[in-house]
Amino acid sequence: MKHLIEKFGKINTSVLFLCIIFLILELIGHRYGETSIEDILFFPAFFGYLSCIIIFKIGVSLRSFLMKDEDYYDK
Amino acid sequence: MISSFPPGLIMIIGALLIPFLPHIIRQIYMMVLILVSAYALTLGFGIHSKIEIMDIQFIIFQSDALTLPFAIIFHIAAILNVIYGAHEKDWNQHVAIMSYSGAAIAAVHAGDLLTLFVWWEATAFTSVFLILASKTQRSYKSAFRYILIQVCSGMFLLAGAILLMSETGNAEFKNFDINSLYGQLIFIAFGIKAAFPLLNGWLQDSYPEASEIGTVALSTFTTKLAIFCFAKSFAGTEILIIIGAIMTFYPIFFAVIENDLRRVLTYSLNNQLGFMIVAIGIGTELAINGAVAHAFAHILYKGLLFMGMGAVLYRVGTCKASELGGLFKFMPITAICTIVGAISISAFPLFSGFVAKSLIMSALGKEGLVFVYFMLLFASAGVLHHSGIKIPFFAFFAHESGIKTKEAPLNMIIAMIIASALCILIGVFPSYFYEILPHQIQYQPYDFSHVVGQLQLLTFAAFAFICLWHFKIYPPELNSTVLNSDWIYRKMIPGILLPLLGLISDINKKIEQFIVFTFISIKRFFSDTMIKNKVFDREVGQDTLIVVQLFIILLIFIFVWKIYL
Repeated sequence: MKHLIEKFGKINTSVLFLCIIFLILELIGHRYGETSIEDILFFPAFFGYLSCIIIFKIGVSLRSFLMKDEDYYDK
Repeated sequence: MISSFPPGLIMIIGALLIPFLPHIIRQIYMMVLILVSAYALTLGFGIHSKIEIMDIQFIIFQSDALTLPFAIIFHIAAILNVIYGAHEKDWNQHVAIMSYSGAAIAAVHAGDLLTLFVWWEATAFTSVFLILASKTQRSYKSAFRYILIQVCSGMFLLAGAILLMSETGNAEFKNFDINSLYGQLIFIAFGIKAAFPLLNGWLQDSYPEASEIGTVALSTFTTKLAIFCFAKSFAGTEILIIIGAIMTFYPIFFAVIENDLRRVLTYSLNNQLGFMIVAIGIGTELAINGAVAHAFAHILYKGLLFMGMGAVLYRVGTCKASELGGLFKFMPITAICTIVGAISISAFPLFSGFVAKSLIMSALGKEGLVFVYFMLLFASAGVLHHSGIKIPFFAFFAHESGIKTKEAPLNMIIAMIIASALCILIGVFPSYFYEILPHQIQYQPYDFSHVVGQLQLLTFAAFAFICLWHFKIYPPELNSTVLNSDWIYRKMIPGILLPLLGLISDINKKIEQFIVFTFISIKRFFSDTMIKNKVFDREVGQDTLIVVQLFIILLIFIFVWKIYL
């Protein structure tokens, strides 16, 4: 535990623990979604994690052609 | 005759006195104006004021279940703006904010399109001064583009109103058919102000160039007025679902790579407008409640985020992520309030965003719009990424920027604390909030599935960001310009038009040279031949040439006369 906090930081470890707690909560109660696909076990967790990674990946790839010099419009 | 004074109008007229009042009295006076304006909301629903000019009836004060929540939040936002801007000694911005807020409130109560047009343009002409208030070269240029586009939106609205009048005999502000030409013109007018895809460039171009208090006011009124108009005139128009879904989706990627944190918030604003547009497109009672609730909550938490970044800009002089960081120890209250705004916009349970967004997501689920539902769910994770984490993280934490500053002025802190409290109160007591929505429905946002599902989505999205940052995969923020749809009229069209105009100018010159050469040749010909043959026994001059030309014209005239008569 101490090793994890040292390596990963207090806030990051807290978020990790919260993630685990919310997964356990799903096992305790019955969670259902607005659509049937969401009823899959831990679906929101997977969806949230993957979405964030996809957004990051697309964002980074867009940098090459959307990102210009700061004075681009002043030239 | 006016039987009762429309809300907002008193603020516009009252704003004329602001320059003549000393600073403290001015602030109290502005508060009184807003409260007097809000008093008109107690009159209840119905048409309260009409005026007739040249046989045209203007319904200047009409209220119903839809106008009330917008009127309430616009008044609350106006009060928050006055508090937030209390440190500003310059009266120009106070006049602009008061009249801009008043125009937006008056627009919400317009009962016909001509009255709406007047206030529509008034919001444009008053708000442009908030962009000019930055007094930079960039803000002057941006303000010019802003006013052009806003006026263009007004022209579409006016054209639609005139066409509607010619077809139906009145310009009543009601539900319009998208298949009619006037309906389409009005739809475009609203779409420009609602920052539809490819019409959104003005939003990201102008808002971040405004003053720190100006951006807070701007983020409140213009776009939400457009949302109100869509809810009133195009509820249930299916194309709005597609447009709204696109709006929620694409600004996320721009927000991720943008360096200016106030510009990140404008992309986020665009994305949030998408949620409202989708809900209006669905058009059911639950969905319309969702759109209105989202607009209400959004004004508070987006205003709060802009207040936080405005405070940073006021103290540090920049809002660029690449230059900020580590400000938490100097501006802890600003940081905490910004975090409250960030948590609210991310729709964490017990905050306003959750109780508003749940309505829209439930409406989508009930209508079986699965694909759009997942687009919005994806966008929700994106909101957490760019507004929930990026804004507070890069401004107040991230790395040590070396900037030493002090906490925001007291008035800014008070405004931020009130906005934060409202975000939490709405989230904790949603039933009171739902009571002011247009339709009375039974809805419970806090059930096990909603709460656990949302918490899993958000915490795992946050965990993904943490992993990217911790393992140094997240690239550093860079000083840059991110291309947006305003590139079309700032670079592409000038890039095509300028060479084209150059080419036309060259051709014009060549034609001129040819004409001059032809006339000189004719002159020489007549001079030489007539002198040689001693026709006039004198040198042929300009007068002779004119006589010859008139003779040719006469011949052409006779020729045409003979053909056609």
